[in-house]
Amino acid sequence: MTEGERARRRRFDTLFESYSADIVAYCSWRAASGSDAQDAAAEVFLVAWRRLDALPEGDAARAWLYATARRVLANQRRASRRRAALYERLALDTASARHEPPSGDRKETLVHEALRRLGPRDREVLLLAEWEALSPAQIATVMGCLAITARGRLHRARRRFRAAFEELADDSAPGREASQLPTATASFAKEQS
Amino acid sequence: MTTSRSLQALRRANPRAKAGFAKSVEATADTMRARLAIDAGAPESPTGHASPRRRLARGLAVGGALAAAAAVAAVLVVAPPGVGPGVANAAAAVRKAATVTAAEAERSGTAVVRITHDDAAWAGSTIHWHGQDLSLTSDAPRRFGRAGSEFRVVDGTMYGVDDGDWVVLGSPDSIDPGSGTTPDEYLAAVREDVGGATLRRITDGMTDLTTRQLADGATVFSGTVAAGLIARETGFKEGRSIRVLPFGYVAHDEAANPDAPLHAAITVGADGVVREIAVTWGISASAWTYTVTYSDLGETPAPVAPADARPLRERLRAERNK
Repeated sequence: MTEGERARRRRFDTLFESYSADIVAYCSWRAASGSDAQDAAAEVFLVAWRRLDALPEGDAARAWLYATARRVLANQRRASRRRAALYERLALDTASARHEPPSGDRKETLVHEALRRLGPRDREVLLLAEWEALSPAQIATVMGCLAITARGRLHRARRRFRAAFEELADDSAPGREASQLPTATASFAKEQS
Repeated sequence: MTTSRSLQALRRANPRAKAGFAKSVEATADTMRARLAIDAGAPESPTGHASPRRRLARGLAVGGALAAAAAVAAVLVVAPPGVGPGVANAAAAVRKAATVTAAEAERSGTAVVRITHDDAAWAGSTIHWHGQDLSLTSDAPRRFGRAGSEFRVVDGTMYGVDDGDWVVLGSPDSIDPGSGTTPDEYLAAVREDVGGATLRRITDGMTDLTTRQLADGATVFSGTVAAGLIARETGFKEGRSIRVLPFGYVAHDEAANPDAPLHAAITVGADGVVREIAVTWGISASAWTYTVTYSDLGETPAPVAPADARPLRERLRAERNK
């Protein structure tokens, strides 16, 4: 291995150490399933490895990784639609699936339901800010828009989320079990496609 | 309720706060390192966004060079500290076999899938593919009443069996593109399981590898693989996840738990091509075996269109007139 190759490997390792948790987290709420999220995150770093020389330096690399993850997930959703339809159509085995227990956290259920009520773009900009801690300028890079546009979208998204959350909290206060609310996580990815 | 309280609730729902998140990052790191090992020898694509099929085609073009590079890279990157050269070589060899098999499977092949439960046949199917054509026969016991049912795609037309008679299901022109029902899309999905992504995922994820030589020159690579790498989450139903084994079978018991270690054995023939993948779980309680046997890779003849197939519309009209 040459010195140049070693330097390239070191840079990649640093990139992975610094941002892998971010990208996995982002993929985990954007992908249709946990395993899809892992595949997508791995694909993001594979692209980064291939295009390391074109990667921006410093914090800009983080936004670059998010933008790449967004594209990878969009491609993955297109493929997943075909695959899901295939399995349904072939119907090789309709035995009942094993179910994972739903989360019993009432507030979290409210959060997910409120998020589901937002449009896909509002939801994405809100979560990039609140879950990924990206600045409006970084969100603009990820979503391919102007920073001022991202800032405006974020303001509207926060307002809509608050309204939805409050309405749901009021509705569910007496006599309604949290488990009666639909689990919305899976809907995110479907609606974003 | 104040804004800050709703946003606080939102922030608390961050996936990073979930149990198992650190494990998920580790799993991704493993997947990524293994995939890097496979791709390290391949030239960079002009766009940097090679699709799995394009990657496979590229693998065909560079042939042995890629496999050799993958083997070297696997030893350099994948083998964890403290692993001896024998195990590292086994890991590299099994991944190389996956690459070679994927290349062979690109043209044509036959896969026989069998699932047994407590030694009794549970489900099965036989898939033949050749170029863009494919046939799929369900060999399942009569549990679902569909044993012997068959589906074919020949020259871009789909055929199925209805009440024992062949029916023309339609031409690709009558199907919405992207709806998941065109022959090309069927074929792409089946091939992903047959020779491409699924096989690579399993071989990438195997640990505790041991090898055993068979009399005919074949090698059996045995090890442990996380169920999540075999039974993939394909979607949700009523808010709950569904995990499916390759070729579309719903996973049961430990196979449905993505973290459960399953025993996997991959048999590679003397020609370097994967012959069989066998996965077992639930040995002590409810025993399952899942095997996929490959044959005639590159040599499977094309399926033929059923001579007596009737258009679906004609068949429906005949039924109405009964």
